[in-house]
Amino acid sequence: MIIHDVPCPFCGCLCDDVSLVVEKNRIVGVENCCAIGNAKFLSKTRLKHPIIRRDGGWVEVSYEEAIDETAKILAESIRPLLYGWSGTYGEAQVVGVHLAEELGALIDSTTSVCHNPSILAIQEVGHPGTTLGQVKNRADLVIYWGCNPIEAHPRHLSRYTTYADGYFFENTVSDRKVVVVDIRRSEAAKIADEFIQVTPGGDYHVLSALRAMVRGRGDVVPGSVAGVKKEQLERLVALCMEAKYIGVFFGLGVSMTRGKYKNVRNAIELVSEISRKTKCTISAMRGHYNVYGFNEVLTWMAGYPFAVDFSRGIAFYNPGETTVIDLLERKEPDASLIIASDPGAHFPYSCNEHIASIPSIQIDPCVNATTALCRVQIPVAITGIEVAGTAYRMDGVPIRMKKVLETEYPTDQEILERIYAKVRELNGNG
Amino acid sequence: MTFILTTGRTVAQGSFIEHKISKGYQRATSLLFIHPMDLFCLGIESGDRVRVTGDAGEIVVTTEASEDVPEKTVFMALGPYANAITGGYTHSTGMPDYKEIPVSIEPTDDPVISVWDIMEKAGGVRYDHT
Repeated sequence: MIIHDVPCPFCGCLCDDVSLVVEKNRIVGVENCCAIGNAKFLSKTRLKHPIIRRDGGWVEVSYEEAIDETAKILAESIRPLLYGWSGTYGEAQVVGVHLAEELGALIDSTTSVCHNPSILAIQEVGHPGTTLGQVKNRADLVIYWGCNPIEAHPRHLSRYTTYADGYFFENTVSDRKVVVVDIRRSEAAKIADEFIQVTPGGDYHVLSALRAMVRGRGDVVPGSVAGVKKEQLERLVALCMEAKYIGVFFGLGVSMTRGKYKNVRNAIELVSEISRKTKCTISAMRGHYNVYGFNEVLTWMAGYPFAVDFSRGIAFYNPGETTVIDLLERKEPDASLIIASDPGAHFPYSCNEHIASIPSIQIDPCVNATTALCRVQIPVAITGIEVAGTAYRMDGVPIRMKKVLETEYPTDQEILERIYAKVRELNGNG
Repeated sequence: MTFILTTGRTVAQGSFIEHKISKGYQRATSLLFIHPMDLFCLGIESGDRVRVTGDAGEIVVTTEASEDVPEKTVFMALGPYANAITGGYTHSTGMPDYKEIPVSIEPTDDPVISVWDIMEKAGGVRYDHT
């Protein structure tokens, strides 16, 4: 059986044109997907039972025992941390926010260590954004800044930009120019019409120089800015001024380096400046397939997109203080629930040391680096393969994930609802 | 010798996302891309191992010559190896310095440890029943 138009549960592109060949409740073929999505759809290894750490090793336990242990740990903790959320669906995230409020917990998502600075910048100066469809059909100039879509979002170029047919073009590939700005000659840089190589940490300077040039004050720009010759910057400004529609996409090369959200703010202000002369939009290359969705869910429910602290009885948000890395560095949490993410592989070492030193629980289908740091792991159904739900693409468009296989694994939502009910019971609110 | 370490995604790292304990993931995330001239200055060849040390820690990884990185800049896929040298200081933004990390690099014969080894060093316990 071939199932068409399946959304891919890997990256923020959320490609919804994948075809799966399913035989005897197993995926045996994947069409129209990138290498990374392929690997995810065809992945076979996973944790088979809930596990708990006892006497220096691991033992298999029932779901009921794992859930009871989880609820007990969370209800007894003073400063619980609920982290992850980007690899699950919106309906489960909703239960997570309720659980955080019940516990007076801090809830944060992988946004905190990816596009958190981009959100801070957007909160300062707004977001001249767009949908990917607009870029696909209209953009005659695409700029990738501090990102490498060929390796991080492999189908971004073929679905939405460089190699995608646009409605308003006769020959999109020849009519569309691509510029890549990066500190190294990445795979994306190799296919660009113009590659601008910036010295590490130089993005802010280059953005400022471009802003001056777009404003007509190129005279104040020196001959070379952060390793980039002024002539090349002038060429880029000329390209922008000739373009009818510019789509700028930026990645963690902008948000994780020196300057953090100020880099992104500068990029947004450059886009606003260009928009006085022609049409220009800017979009973040979001990583997980539903990292954007958690920002939406938490904003609807608590008023803020990430790093919300319920310990005061109200939603409190102060990035730099209530963000997960700062919290772990201060060694504040005395228990943590980690879901749909893998901080063991992606957090600084010192943060992982603290996760390992407190009772931590992981809800995830697979054994991963975080497994070692936890006391309990509860395996669940895989969103987008074994359970349907809502996810948000990198441009904020909600897409319904499909269920293509039957499973006996419980869903994230079901496990969280059971933990929530148990915690309420232990708190005397049942 | 001192360098600037930067990290990012690679297809190899991404495709092992559900197999983080595998040898493949270990290899994908413990490769250090370095300019051939820098290898020459270190007196080693592509494939030799080096110890990378930053303010927050150190780790042994395998070199891979690449002219795509500029001299004095090295690249690794994001993952537990790069994070062993990443500090948790966020400049009050919530975001650690995952890119642009000053490091020193020296040749070594020490082995590249496994993902489980790194997690156990941090205080965890491996689960190798699968």
